[in-house]
Amino acid sequence: MIELTIDNMTVQAHEGETVLQAALKHGIEIPHFCYHPCLSIAGNCRVCLVKVDGRPKLMPSCNLEATPGMRIETVSEEVLAARAAVMQFIILNHPGDCGICDKAGECRVQDYHVRYGEIDPVSIEPKHRKPKLYDLSPRISLDNERCILCSRCVRFTREVSGSHMLGIVERGCHSRVARLEGKVFDDPYSDNIISICPTGALLSRDFLYKSRVWYLEPVRSVCTGCARCCSVNVWRRRKRWHVRSLGAEKNAAAYRITPGENPEINGHWICNKGFDLHKAMGRPRALAPLIAGRSASVEEALQEGMKMLSEAVNPAALISAHASNEELEAFRIALGSRMRVYTREDHSPQPGEVLEDDLLIRADKNPNSRGVRELFGDRPYDATAGHDLVLVWGDLDDYAPLGKARILHLTSFVPPQGQSADLLIPISTVFERSGTFTNFEGKANRFDQVFDKPKLVQHAGELFGGLAA
Amino acid sequence: MNKDYWNKPAMGLWERLYIFEVIRGLCITGSVFFGNMWKWLTLRKGALTAYYPEEVRSDYSPNNRGRHVLTQRENGEVQCVSCNMCATVCPAYCIEILSTANFDDVFHPKAPERFEIDYSRCIFCGFCVEACPEDAIRMIKDIPDFPAFDRDTMCAPLDLLLNWRPTRDPAKVYPTQPQNGEVHPWAA
Ligand code: SF4
Ligand code: SF4
Ligand code: SF4
Ligand code: SF4
Ligand code: FES
Repeated sequence: MIELTIDNMTVQAHEGETVLQAALKHGIEIPHFCYHPCLSIAGNCRVCLVKVDGRPKLMPSCNLEATPGMRIETVSEEVLAARAAVMQFIILNHPGDCGICDKAGECRVQDYHVRYGEIDPVSIEPKHRKPKLYDLSPRISLDNERCILCSRCVRFTREVSGSHMLGIVERGCHSRVARLEGKVFDDPYSDNIISICPTGALLSRDFLYKSRVWYLEPVRSVCTGCARCCSVNVWRRRKRWHVRSLGAEKNAAAYRITPGENPEINGHWICNKGFDLHKAMGRPRALAPLIAGRSASVEEALQEGMKMLSEAVNPAALISAHASNEELEAFRIALGSRMRVYTREDHSPQPGEVLEDDLLIRADKNPNSRGVRELFGDRPYDATAGHDLVLVWGDLDDYAPLGKARILHLTSFVPPQGQSADLLIPISTVFERSGTFTNFEGKANRFDQVFDKPKLVQHAGELFGGLAA
Repeated sequence: MNKDYWNKPAMGLWERLYIFEVIRGLCITGSVFFGNMWKWLTLRKGALTAYYPEEVRSDYSPNNRGRHVLTQRENGEVQCVSCNMCATVCPAYCIEILSTANFDDVFHPKAPERFEIDYSRCIFCGFCVEACPEDAIRMIKDIPDFPAFDRDTMCAPLDLLLNWRPTRDPAKVYPTQPQNGEVHPWAA
């Protein structure tokens, strides 16, 4: 441990830690654009300048290793003047179009300009124009005017995702971020650069102009895209900003997904499939109970389910790997001993999808296979066992492999085309309930309820008791 | 019905005697009536009622801000860039905007697709006008004519706001051609 003094406060730092890290850890704010805890030190934005006692010039704190007895000043007049000058320089050619920039409200340039910048620009030259709304990839739009060349995005593709697909080309005020010439920027982790870009230069085309960010609030959830179970933030409309004339469905829509910081599981990142979680959850839903394809009330459906279960001689259950640990436990207590339990993978990898890599993505495309395995083992369905009733839990594309057994299907999304189960009960999605998944490493990750469930949809965990009665 | 109101009057003996309070009330209305009649007899203004909506009062102050207009650009497009400043500042939460992206128009990449002002909620404070960085929304001397049986139908949509009194002199003028442009090698 090293002791140093920042703004007359004695703070402790580890060997090798920088002054910026030590300051941030102790709640002392030093502005920074290019520094990111998961990326290498670039030291190019210079907004983190601090005064070090005994040195003639200001030093960038992100690139300054803490040494014992160091005396640092972060708010002296000299530092503030330098900061204002740096801000002046950084936004020299900045278009200042916060009004139409999706980053506004969570943008570092905006925040720092308000907090540390000068009000009156000294430049007398007209602002330099660069291409705007340039499609860096089908998912990302790049606005070169807003870019402050901090190189976070470039370092991300070099150091984290390893695709080396971005670089900064040209010189001086012509510099701009560019993708590999003639290549599509199809990094499976590409959307993370939207989150780490300190300005509105990189924006999600999916979220583009959907909503101002201050109308939204994040809710902690878990990605169901693979067995990694990354933490994500699901952004829903704040209660006070609920719309009326634009349509109530906007109030129950997930606007965007961003990575949820979780050092145990996914660090700062998620993959693009995680960024698309709201699209996966937006698939056509099963919204009302169906008895042999005919819609029924919830009570009728429950009656029918009880009847089917009590009549069955040799019932089986196909357990969903998208069920939470709590629901699995509820099932085990209510029905586990009365049925033969089989496990399955609800979702297998799609063609073109990254199967597995060293960073996050896992080959098992279901969140809770481990949780299922811990409770029920690993037993694929056996069609020859002569079951007369199968309780199918989760998505299933085709009932044919289940043989002639009667089918009781619990699903969130519309069932297979042209086939109807003997009884279908719609259940809630991961956005509509809370619970935990156990990821492939055995770490449990909690998700919170984001939206209320539709009226006729049931929580699977609350169904089993009734069905078993 | 025995409903408890928060402002239920507390009646003392005097009020309960009824007749004296009624006479006091009649005195008040009577004095106003005769006062107005006297004004009318001496040819002054005072007792005249405007028959809304057939008649509109002609004596609104020039500063009256009764109704919103959205201004137009030279080419008739809406001036608004859908920045949502007005909707954010509005203390009645009555402006709702749905934006669209137009990647081809450098000077209007973001524009409102729907713009609704809910006049059942608007309190005519004018904050939206103050907040607008584009001079895209103004309030002018008029009255919002939205008699309705249902509060949900008292919204003014984009078309109406833009066209009920077309205004084409926004203070902020957009050029029609890109200036000093650097063309991106792949964008060309
Ligand atoms: S695009 Fe964003 S992250 Fe990349 S260099 Fe520019 S400002 Fe930094
Ligand atoms: S790595 Fe897996 S869990 Fe994480 S975001 Fe991607 S699909 Fe979701
Ligand atoms: S006048 Fe006031 S209440 Fe009415 S729309 Fe504007 S900001 Fe909202
Ligand atoms: S009217 Fe003005 S403040 Fe409101 S969204 Fe349009 S440009 Fe922004
Ligand atoms: S954060 Fe230190 S130079 Fe950018």
